Formats: sequence, C-alpha cells, structure tokens
Amino acid sequence: MKISFSPRLKQVWKKWEFVLTLIILLEIIIFALKNSKFLMPRVLFGSMNDIISICIISLFVTFVMITGGIDIQAGSIVGLSSIILGVAWQDFGFNIWSASCLAMVAAGVCGGISGFFIAYCGVQPMVVTLGGSFLYTGIGLLVSKLSATESYKGIGGFPEGFLRLSKYRLFGIIPFQVIIFLILAVLAYILLHKTRYGREVFLVGVNQNAAEYSGINTRLIIMSTYVLSAVSASVAGIILTSYLGTAKSDIGATLTLPIITAVVLGGTLSTGGKGSVPGTALAAVAIGTLRFGLPLCFKVSQQYLDIPVGILLLVIIIGRALLNRPGLRVKTVIRGRIPHK
Amino acid sequence: MRKILKSREINSFLFLAGLIFLVGLINPSFWKPVTIINCFNDSVVFTFLSAGIAFVILTGEIDVSIGAVLGLSAAVGATLLRDGYGVATALFAAVFIGTVVGVINGIGVAVLNIPSLIFTLGVNGVVRGIIYVYTKGAWVENLPADFTLMSNRFLTKNVTLFYGAAVLVVIIGHVILTRTRKGKYFVAVGDNSAGAALVGIPANKIKILAYVLCGIFSSVAGMIYASRIGFITPTAGNGYEMKAIAACVLGGLSLTGGVGSLAGASIGAVIMSSISRILVFLGFSSDYDNTITGFLLLTIVVINTSAQNHTVRKNRHEILLARTAQKGGEKT
Repeated sequence: MKISFSPRLKQVWKKWEFVLTLIILLEIIIFALKNSKFLMPRVLFGSMNDIISICIISLFVTFVMITGGIDIQAGSIVGLSSIILGVAWQDFGFNIWSASCLAMVAAGVCGGISGFFIAYCGVQPMVVTLGGSFLYTGIGLLVSKLSATESYKGIGGFPEGFLRLSKYRLFGIIPFQVIIFLILAVLAYILLHKTRYGREVFLVGVNQNAAEYSGINTRLIIMSTYVLSAVSASVAGIILTSYLGTAKSDIGATLTLPIITAVVLGGTLSTGGKGSVPGTALAAVAIGTLRFGLPLCFKVSQQYLDIPVGILLLVIIIGRALLNRPGLRVKTVIRGRIPHK
Repeated sequence: MRKILKSREINSFLFLAGLIFLVGLINPSFWKPVTIINCFNDSVVFTFLSAGIAFVILTGEIDVSIGAVLGLSAAVGATLLRDGYGVATALFAAVFIGTVVGVINGIGVAVLNIPSLIFTLGVNGVVRGIIYVYTKGAWVENLPADFTLMSNRFLTKNVTLFYGAAVLVVIIGHVILTRTRKGKYFVAVGDNSAGAALVGIPANKIKILAYVLCGIFSSVAGMIYASRIGFITPTAGNGYEMKAIAACVLGGLSLTGGVGSLAGASIGAVIMSSISRILVFLGFSSDYDNTITGFLLLTIVVINTSAQNHTVRKNRHEILLARTAQKGGEKT
C-alpha cells in the first residue's frame, strides 16, 4: 500500500520537530487518560517551573553545539550567578535588579573566558568547559563564604518584586517564567535562523576553515556562543533563585546532563553544523512533561526519573542511527569495517 | 634522553614532584614519607577509574557513565556482602555489571556509530536510575568488618594492599599498551580510526574492548570505594566521571585520542586526589578544592596546547626554510 502525501506535508512529516511534537502529544494523551488532573492548565503550566532552567539554557547550548563545541559548565554558572545575586544583594547592598545584572555580567565574563580558551587557544571545548565547571563551582562556593549567612542555608528573604518574577501568572494561568522562556525561544530562533550571525554559526559548525576563508571571524563567533550560553545560564539561575526563594551556590549542579539530553534530543548534531531552536525547545518540553507526568500519573518516584529520560534518549538516538543506515549488520561492524555514513 | 623528558607522563610526574616539593617548602611537615605515600594511597579509587577511562580516551572516545557504574557495582557488591556472600562473589557480580555496561556502551558507540558522549550520557541516566531502584533510595550499610578492614591492610610498611594492586594493574596495562602489538592498536585507533581500520586493525572491536575494560575497572573501583567508605549512598560516585576525565587530562592524555598512557592517567589521578590534602597542608580550607582543580586543569591544558601549536608552527617554518635553502643551493 502506498500512501501519497502532498510534497509539503511530506516535508513536515520528515522533520524531526514533527516527531517531537508527536511525542509530546502522545505523552499528554497518555498522562491525561491516566489522570485527568494533568490537563488542568494550572497544573500543566505549573509543571514548567521545575524544568524552566533546563529549557532556557538548552536553547543557547544549541548554539554552542552547532559550532561543534560542547558546554558542560552551564550548570555551575547557574549556581555561580545565583550566589553572586544573593551575596551582592544581601551583603553588598546592591539593588536586587542591579544585583541580577551583575550576576549576568559575571556569567558573561565566565563564558567569555572559556570561549577565549576554546576559540583562541584551540583547546578542546570538552576539556575547557570541564575545567570551567570545576572552577566556577569553586568560585561560587568561595563567593558564598563572603556572605554572613552560612552557605548551606542559602540566602533568603528576597523582596516581593523579585519573588513575583516566578509567582506572577498572566491571566492567572500562564506563569511569568513560561513567558520569559517563550520570549527567549523566539529571540534565539530569530538569532539562529533569521540573521547573518546565525548563518555564520552554522557555517562555522559545518567547516571552520571554509568559514574562515569566506571572511567570517570564526573565533569570535565560537567565543560568542559560549558567552550566550553562559548568560542564558545566569538568567536561568536568577529565575531559579526567585522560584526557590533562596540563593545557593549548588542549585545548578544536576542540570548539566538534562541540558545536553535536551539539545541532542532536539536534533542537534554533536559534531556540529546541524540543529534548530524549535527542536531543542520541543525536546526540552518533552523531557519536562515526562519528568512531571510520570510522578503525577504513574506514581513513579522522583528519584527514578533518570531511567525514563535516559531510555528516551537512548531509544531515540539508537533509532535514528538505525534509520540512517538501514543496511547495518552487526557482524561486519564488529569485524572492524567502518560502515559508510 | 630528550625523548624521555618530552614524554607527557614524565611531564606530569615532574609536575607532581614539583607540587610536593613546593608544598613541602611552605609546610615542611608535608615532606614526611608517610604523608606523601598517603597521597598515593588515597588516590586508589581514582587510579582505577582513570586507568579504566584511559583505555576509552586513548581510542578517542569518552565515557561519562563510569560514575554510575561505580555506584551500581558498589551497591550490588555491598548488598551481597551484607547478606553474607563472600568477597569473591561480590567482586564477580560487580565485574559482571561493569562488563555488561561496557559491552552496551561499546556497541552503541562502535557499532551504531553514536557520538560517545551522548550515548554514555544516556546509559549514565539509566544506570544511575537502576541504583535507586535497586537500593530503593536507601543506604547500604553494615558491611562485614573483614571487608572494610581490607582497605587498611598494608602491603609493605606504608603502601596499602589496594594501592599496590592498583600500581600492579597499571604497570601491566601500561606495558601491554606500549610494548605489545595488540596493545598498540588502542593508540592507533585513537590516532586515526578510519586509517587503523584500513590497515587491518579491527577498530570497532578495539573500541568495544576499551569500553569493556573501562567498565571492569570502574566496577573494581566501586568495590574498593565500598571497602574504603564502608557504606553506599544512592549518589555514590556522582560526578566521579568528570574528575576521572580531569585526572586523565592532568596526566597528559589528549581527549582527541591517541596521545598519552595509562601511567600518565594514574599520575593524574594522584594529582587530582591530592589537591584537597595539599590544601589542608597549605592552611586553606578544602572549599578551594574545586577552584584549584579547575584552575590547574585550565592552566595546564592551555599551556600544553599553546606549546603544541607553537612547535607545529616552528616545524612548519623550519621545513619552509629548509626548502628555500635547497633552492638557493641549486642556483649557485
């Protein structure tokens, strides 16, 4: 039986974003059938609170991965900017908003340092951001020592206006964080897919030498992607601080792996040159829905959530690998012949 | 002689010696043999972990699931021991887990051709989750005393039994990798995977083998961890993968593959795990631990890469000079 779609529909069908949308819809349908509470807008949007930082950061880590790099320091920058915000506000008498700006600038500098080493010294991105994650976690801890508050308690008691950043709901339903995420997603989309800068990012990922020869300042482009992802991490850190009501230096420690998972699920190639912002955004939402829906509807304990997310990642990457090369035979590969890509 | 001085593991060994020397200058009590040997003894878990992941890094891949493998094999091994099974059974179970995860990783990376960071990331999530399912989120405690005392047994006067075993394993692995034909395959695959396959090296088999070895080493590290710590939390080994990778980089391995050795990785592990001890002797609190680690890692890597780029450029320049000199010679 042959089904013929119109060519345009076929294009949509083949797109990875479409598959992701299907996955999200499937998740929502299954969860809603199991527990109708899931569909209440208040609950559904409330679920975004826990994953909003993953969503925001992964948008911009996509940029990094498109240039062929990787960023595993974003989680530590979340903690660093949270504690800078807290200490600047509580112990150095900054206004809460200028403290937020300070945190963002500091994060930008951190991203810039890592980006500089990667782009201008030619060190592998994985090594630099690994070192960066140690360094910035450590600095976060040291900054927290500047405060009069014990570091394990966290700095609390923020003004109402700052806390409302995460408590305010548009029309009484949509949390403000979701709006920030949507705005950032649109911004990232325009930046990556509609501007000259975005095309340069892609070209650097496809072939850095070719990009260099065609007059693009590839090093600056690479460095800028790390600054972008660091600043987005600090935005996430600020929102997370507002949501939790306390500033701590270790709130981002567990974020690294989910961020990379979201970016990869979104269809970004880790070798660079391919990827999209809508894909990442959808993938982040898919992971978030899974992490939220399973405990609510199937009584899966929070601690077990690594398994479904890991399985989702594995199934999808294995599936994609098999689909891309249908003629793959395990035996020939084990014998050492490298299959044609 | 110059070749020896230039080799990367000697460089990191000199760095470690210099570090010990400097710390001793500031605080002479650090120079006691006991203190220095204890630095080595305490690094035994990381020595096994980084020696294991060194196989994978040498072939040009990466494995971020070793922390979870360490945790799972420690939890399973410790549960068996608590329930009255012998050490051999527990060790066998742990090694079995390491082998299974290694085979899965190897097949995913070598056969399915999935980028190793991403595949092992997924495996890491699943294995970490299995730890929670297996332990039901509780600690594994009350290990038999003869097992936990094993970590205090000494081989010679100061060197613990475990570290002695680690050194022996590392030496054997190092000799196999550098002196035997099959061992050199690992470096060849890491240097140029496609090229190695073309000259008849079973590149993918080697990669799978590297992952299996890595899994086994991490599960042995898990058992030693259980013996040293005496209880297993569900988060045991969390983040150890990053520290092991950092240790390998400190020990002179290149994450692009093909450069470095097992000996280097084990020296890196000693540097890595001595930092907090050194900080204590320098009078800092251990809060500086991460900062110093990150700073060291970045400095060493940046200097190393810059020096490499410099030599490449110098060589190119020399070749160019030699060519022009040749042409000039022909004319006269």
